[in-house]
Amino acid sequence: MPTKDANAEPSFRTMIQVDMEIASFLSNWAHCDYISSYLARTISHNRPDSVLFSNLFSSALNELLEVTFRTRHSGGALECRLSRHGETDRIELTFACGQEERTFLEDAVARVQGVDRQARYLSSLSGDVAPSRDMMLLELTVNYNATLRLEEVDADTVTIVVDLGGLAN
Amino acid sequence: MTAHLSPTGTVGRFKAHFDLNNQEFSIAGSVRPQTIDELAPSLALLKESIDNVRGVLYINVRRLAQMNNTAFHAFSRVIIDACRVRPELRFVVITSSVVGWTTRKFGRLSKIEPSISVEEYDSEFYPGQSFLEEGGFIPILRTQTKMTWRHERSILPRHGMRPGIVMADICCGIGDFAVLAQKEFEPARIVALDHSKSSLAYARKVASEFDITGIEYTYGDASEMLLDDDQFDLVTCRHSLQIFNRPAQILKELYRICKPGGRVYITNEKNSHCLGEPRAESIRWTYNEVAKLFEHFDMDVELGPKSRRYLADAGFDDIRVESFMVTNLDGDPKDFADMISAWEDVYAGDMAVKRGDSEEFIKQFRQGFKDHISAALHPKGYAGWPIWAASGQKPL
Ligand SMILES: C[S@@+](CC[C@H](N)C(=O)[O-])C[C@H]1O[C@@H](n2cnc3c(N)ncnc32)[C@H](O)[C@@H]1O
Repeated sequence: MPTKDANAEPSFRTMIQVDMEIASFLSNWAHCDYISSYLARTISHNRPDSVLFSNLFSSALNELLEVTFRTRHSGGALECRLSRHGETDRIELTFACGQEERTFLEDAVARVQGVDRQARYLSSLSGDVAPSRDMMLLELTVNYNATLRLEEVDADTVTIVVDLGGLAN
Repeated sequence: MTAHLSPTGTVGRFKAHFDLNNQEFSIAGSVRPQTIDELAPSLALLKESIDNVRGVLYINVRRLAQMNNTAFHAFSRVIIDACRVRPELRFVVITSSVVGWTTRKFGRLSKIEPSISVEEYDSEFYPGQSFLEEGGFIPILRTQTKMTWRHERSILPRHGMRPGIVMADICCGIGDFAVLAQKEFEPARIVALDHSKSSLAYARKVASEFDITGIEYTYGDASEMLLDDDQFDLVTCRHSLQIFNRPAQILKELYRICKPGGRVYITNEKNSHCLGEPRAESIRWTYNEVAKLFEHFDMDVELGPKSRRYLADAGFDDIRVESFMVTNLDGDPKDFADMISAWEDVYAGDMAVKRGDSEEFIKQFRQGFKDHISAALHPKGYAGWPIWAASGQKPL
């Protein structure tokens, strides 16, 4: 697994970062919606199609926050950083979690790269009553062309890195 | 039938509705539940809708801004299951390009069940649109805005324009008004929205060439905007209510996005009152016909003096109405003449032809424009184009 400083891409400029205690994030489901709507609006002003961009970005970020919400955490903080390089917008969500959850996330991220992702997405849609966290991540690649990876920050902290390119084009 | 969930929680930000007459289930707003239990009333309504229709069920998601995967899965499941139980039933999902994700995401369902199809529907209210986009009309729009701006720059402060405000120009066209407003009044933020991609592309190109920043040119449908409620100190909508077949609906949207205490400013024409000397009669005849021609295409270019009523009916307070006349004496008379000649091209050359008018009619129709042009260029002539500017305050 790559470590944090493998991410030496100085050209990504941080737009905004929000940190909160995991415990307070988890205290209300509506936080996913509030945070994604607020952040999307904040970073969309200088995108050509600001309203469309904001709506799409909010959709993608909300799914990620919902996945995070459904992850078993081991306390600490949730860090949400948004940065940008040209047409690409990057979301980084950093939080602490146990080995089991980490393995799950690693596998999930590896699976979304698969060539059969479209088919797996469709079969989940027609088969499952509710989407699994896997499917939520997969959906980002299928519908938003996102690329995902997982970074290890330290022994029990990970970062999910999601790049979204040319969202409103 | 409406399922409306608690307005306080996140799930309360959407509405589901079934209209039996149109066999249409619609869902609008933002749907982000934690569990599908929260959706139970709307899912039940969808099932009930399916049970009550024959042949086809329209699923209207034109105003569905957000829907998380949890909800999307749940609604999809109901539809997919119904396809299996009732193979004779078709599902047509109506989306809007403005929302960005619905066409693609609902489109996937048709890969699972062929009886589900997706139609992207964007309100095209403006039959003249294609004429304007195809023709070399852009320079004329610029001339037009330049001529009205001479008047509007002094009128606007009486209608809520001032430095530092957050404003929106809806149906911004090629964006000149936003640029002029920004230079003159320095608002803090301008959102400029239109439904013509080519006009927006033009506006963005101009902005980047002239290094203008701070105007957010946005693609959208004025009748169903994704913009949030209560956002803008001033919402302008110029020369556009008159081209919609349902102006009241647009006004409702302008009202919605305006802050309480803010103002909505509209300008409109009364084409039959265009005038000129000499040859007043011929000119008057033609512009009376212009009004009828637009009426044929469901547009009311006589709307100007009705602004007061429209604003009042939409719920505005402190309504202010004034009118001004753009004339050949305002600036270069040639500008005025160019504008009329472009009108002649579009109205007589395209729209009258499309209506199926006789050659004889078109000849006489053109004559009035030619006389208007002569009046504008005549050393002792006078030519005018009257415009009504009106605004109302959204109650606090
Ligand atoms: C007569 S032009 C006025 C443009 C500009 N306000 C001006 O004064 O030059 C009408 C504008 O409305 C736009 N329009 C038509 N239908 C629309 C819709 N549904 N939503 C947003 N804009 C629309 C057209 O693209 C066009 O730019």
